[in-house]
Amino acid sequence: MIKVANLSKRIGDVQALNDLSFSAQDGQITGLLGPNGAGKTTCLRTVFGLLKPDAGHAEIDGIDVAKSPIEAKQQLGLFPDPFGLYERLTPREYIRYFAELNGLSGKQAKQAAAKVLDKLHMNDIADRKCKGFSQGQRMKTALAQAIVHEPTNIILDEPTRGLDVMSTRVLRDILRDLKQQGHCVLFSSHVMQEVAALCDQVIVMADGKVVAVGSPDELCQQTGKASLEDAFIQLIGTDEGIAA
Amino acid sequence: MIAQIRTMLKKELTDAARDKRSVMAGLYYAIGAPLMMCGMFMLLISQVTSPDALNINIEHSERAPDLVKFLASNDITSIDDSSRKDIVLSISEDYASNMAKGLPAELTLSADNSDEKLQSSIRRLEKSLQLYSAEMGSLRLIARGIDPKVVQPIKVNVEDQATADSKGGMILGVATFMMIYAVFISGMNLAIDTSAGERERNSLALLLSHPVTTRQIVWAKMAAVTVFAMLGLLLTLVISKIAYGFVPWQELGFSVNLTPEFIALMLIVSLPIALMAAALQLFVSFMAKSFKEAQSYLTIVLVVPMMLSLAASYNIAPDTMQWLPVSGQMQALIAFIKGKEIPMLQLLLSSASTLAIAFALTFGMEKSLKSEKIVFGL
Amino acid sequence: MFDGTLDPTRQTTSLQPKYRLALKTILPAVLALSSYSFPIAAMANTEVPQPEAQHACYVTGLSEQVRCGSILVPENHQQPEGKQIAIHYTVLPAIKSNFGAEAFLAIAGGPGQSAIDNAAYFDKVFSKVRQYRDILLIDQRGTGRSNPLNCEGEGFEAGLALNDESIDIAATTQHCLDEQTADITQYGSESALKDFEAVRQHLGYSKLHLYGISYGSRMAQLYMRHYPQVLETVTLDGVVPMQQSVVAIGDAIERATQILLDECQTTPLCQQSFPTLAADFAKVDSRLAEAAITTTTRHPLTGEASELLLTRSKFMGAIRMAMYGANIRALLPYAINQAAQDNFQPILGLYALNMDGIGLAMGMHSSVVCGEDWPRLDDAMRQQLQSNYFGEQMLIGFDESCPIWNMPAVSEDFSDAIASDIPTLLLSGENDPATPPSWAELAMEKMTNATHLIAPYATHGVAHQSCANNLIADLVNSRDVAQLDSECLSRDVSRNFYLNASTVETTTAANDAQGASND
Repeated sequence: MIKVANLSKRIGDVQALNDLSFSAQDGQITGLLGPNGAGKTTCLRTVFGLLKPDAGHAEIDGIDVAKSPIEAKQQLGLFPDPFGLYERLTPREYIRYFAELNGLSGKQAKQAAAKVLDKLHMNDIADRKCKGFSQGQRMKTALAQAIVHEPTNIILDEPTRGLDVMSTRVLRDILRDLKQQGHCVLFSSHVMQEVAALCDQVIVMADGKVVAVGSPDELCQQTGKASLEDAFIQLIGTDEGIAA
Repeated sequence: MIAQIRTMLKKELTDAARDKRSVMAGLYYAIGAPLMMCGMFMLLISQVTSPDALNINIEHSERAPDLVKFLASNDITSIDDSSRKDIVLSISEDYASNMAKGLPAELTLSADNSDEKLQSSIRRLEKSLQLYSAEMGSLRLIARGIDPKVVQPIKVNVEDQATADSKGGMILGVATFMMIYAVFISGMNLAIDTSAGERERNSLALLLSHPVTTRQIVWAKMAAVTVFAMLGLLLTLVISKIAYGFVPWQELGFSVNLTPEFIALMLIVSLPIALMAAALQLFVSFMAKSFKEAQSYLTIVLVVPMMLSLAASYNIAPDTMQWLPVSGQMQALIAFIKGKEIPMLQLLLSSASTLAIAFALTFGMEKSLKSEKIVFGL
Repeated sequence: MFDGTLDPTRQTTSLQPKYRLALKTILPAVLALSSYSFPIAAMANTEVPQPEAQHACYVTGLSEQVRCGSILVPENHQQPEGKQIAIHYTVLPAIKSNFGAEAFLAIAGGPGQSAIDNAAYFDKVFSKVRQYRDILLIDQRGTGRSNPLNCEGEGFEAGLALNDESIDIAATTQHCLDEQTADITQYGSESALKDFEAVRQHLGYSKLHLYGISYGSRMAQLYMRHYPQVLETVTLDGVVPMQQSVVAIGDAIERATQILLDECQTTPLCQQSFPTLAADFAKVDSRLAEAAITTTTRHPLTGEASELLLTRSKFMGAIRMAMYGANIRALLPYAINQAAQDNFQPILGLYALNMDGIGLAMGMHSSVVCGEDWPRLDDAMRQQLQSNYFGEQMLIGFDESCPIWNMPAVSEDFSDAIASDIPTLLLSGENDPATPPSWAELAMEKMTNATHLIAPYATHGVAHQSCANNLIADLVNSRDVAQLDSECLSRDVSRNFYLNASTVETTTAANDAQGASND
């Protein structure tokens, strides 16, 4: 479970987060929806302890990120945007590396990497260097890295950005899978359909604040709109920065 | 804690070993620098030593056949070809008549004394002429029934304290500078790649999002850069050892030999320097906004250890330099090369100051990796 | 006068080294009259010697630090537990040691010369060898620092006025013998050879390259005979063949004198200046043979008025010694010419050069010559020796001194030719007044891998008078005597003869100039 409470953060002249509070439950896919510049990435970075909030706090499975960053992060897997691959390593090495960083022994890491490579159907590319990978291959590698140590919580920052249809479908399947297994999945997106298709809960953000929370249906009901898109525009007051 | 550092170190080294740029930067220096030094020394030696057969221009050689014969027996001849040096020895018209009268017979030696290539040849010619003159002087005295010893009132016995090692030490002092510098050069590209480069490739944030402390990250990167620096140094030493064997030192009258003891001492003494170099390079690279910027900063920053090292090589302000990083160790190494006692206190203090700087920078990096500005360039 | 910039040390080295090394054997007469003003501390030394570990040291004439040390050996090798003597050695370390297990052993002449005292000379001559190999110098037992057998005392003061022909050789020899505390019978070449080998083993050299000059060539040949397995190459310079008694040196002196006289006759400038040189020489010699000449002169060193008693022995000795050096030799025609005109200053100058002695340990000299050379003289040889002045004098001297010295004779096979296939270079100087080229031919009789090179302008000791030192360096590197390029030996390294007390160049120019100025 991921819980943020009253997060505020100023970056430069911009109030990136403004008394932000929400929680994402285990066994659910939670979407963090907002236009560009709404504070989604800042929020996620704060959850990882990479940014320090001016006020408020973030908890992972009840662990305060600011107080026990290592323990908190052990419960987290991050699918970052951009991916941050090491191009001179192979996916297998890359995945093992992060598995070991998360406390797995060499042997465990090896097994875990093999397992996740299998799961993501990456065996054909597992021992090629990442340099020259397609966006889909990169996505898989980054995703494998995020889930190799089987964290309870998985955070994805704009996971479908730049993906083709096939890759997007693969990703969706995996996320559903993770949900089935009881993981807490939190992802940020500005793509409406994706959120509508996947999420059990949507948190709509604008200007660093939560403007609405609920399932896609609930949001439609709440705004009286037929589509989530319309509901969203209604909620944030503009259609700027939203992709259909 | 340690396991994760080891994991990161392993990954950094694997990553770096596959990075052509990092490896080549180290290799170019480790192989190129000793070879360049050797080439330079060979050129120098060939220029400062007089050729076996010295060909000069002797004008009016018919006026002094015995002198010409004497010079020829010392391999100094006058042949009109391309090997002739720009040295003219002119025999005066009244050479024979003055000599017959017991008066000084005049020669004129004309050459450009500022031409370094000629100096040893000029000295050799002068020496031969003095020898000839001295010998004739002695024989003239004998012919007059006087013992030539009477014109040798003082005999100076010179005892040169220099040892074979210390003579070569002058040369090795300069070479030592080149070797120490390997520590800075070999790890530099890796240092930039693993800091500024890592951030540029967006993997730094990902790394920080994993359950590792900034201390672990910094130490692992330090260790990786240090390993590269030390490998670069080791390679430089090995190449130097082999390459120096081909330089005709004996023509200078002494030898330059990298002993296993020297190599071992060099490696030990350089370890703190390598740590400091790694810390310095990582620190500067983290501060820089991009790979390119880090490169240009480092080029400027590395002038400092170079100056320190050079100052030690040329013995500038030795009293201050002996306590400073790099120069202190250099002085100790030069002392060792020259067969003197290693100044232990000085070496320990300069090593301590080197390590202190390394740790201060490491600590600074740990802090800076917690800063949003450094990590995200905000 | 001398130019102020001249290096005075160089001036002596240019004149002296020849005879330092060149001395083969010395006249018994010289044995009796040379003043050996050696510091003879070692003579009265009855303390038990201690071996010196190798340490940095300075040796005469070399400014750089070299390595010195000593080992103990039994004075009598048949009695290993008996009295021990220290054998001193010096190592001139290779500049660039590529052949650490090989050394170049240079053996000095005499007999009785110290190798270590001549370190500067060996260093200069063999600088190319030293680039890659240690040069090893050993003071042979009885010489230098190794328990030297020196002689001093009555009759050893040199003097211009001394009548060296009237000295009682028997008494001086006895006196010298009485001074010795050592067992002088143990100071022959073969005992010394065992010392050399012990030093080699002590220093851990697996192979040696040998260089033996003059008497040193006998030591080198003995090395070839007894320890051929440790030798890589051998150079014999101014060769004394095993088959030859050195007492026969008189013939060589006679031969060299004749060459000198002939050379002056065939050199236009010399011939014009001294047209009657041979006659002049004969004139002075016969005059002195009749009676010594007494004149008043200035002492060569002190400048004080002194009486000079010029004996035939002093005159001939001065000429003999002058022939060792290519440069001093150039003064001889003028010196002889002046002596014939009653100007004895040049002869006095030449004689004075050796008045201080020639640096030989005369006791050791006697042990070698009386044990190895004198006993093998048979009637035919004695007959031959009588035919010239020096041969005759040698015979008289050794016949008187050797019975007193009472050195046991070496066995007969000592005189056998050396049979060897070690690469061996033999060097002779055409003008050598001690070891003529024919001696080298004799020495190589049974050598199957030897080359004999004759330097046409060299006297005694070819290595320092020609490019032969470079040939030796080549030999040491290649171990192949056949491929040595000896062409450089023919380069004219001689000096023109002095035409007056000042010049070696033509004097006609001077006359012309004078003539011109008179016009």
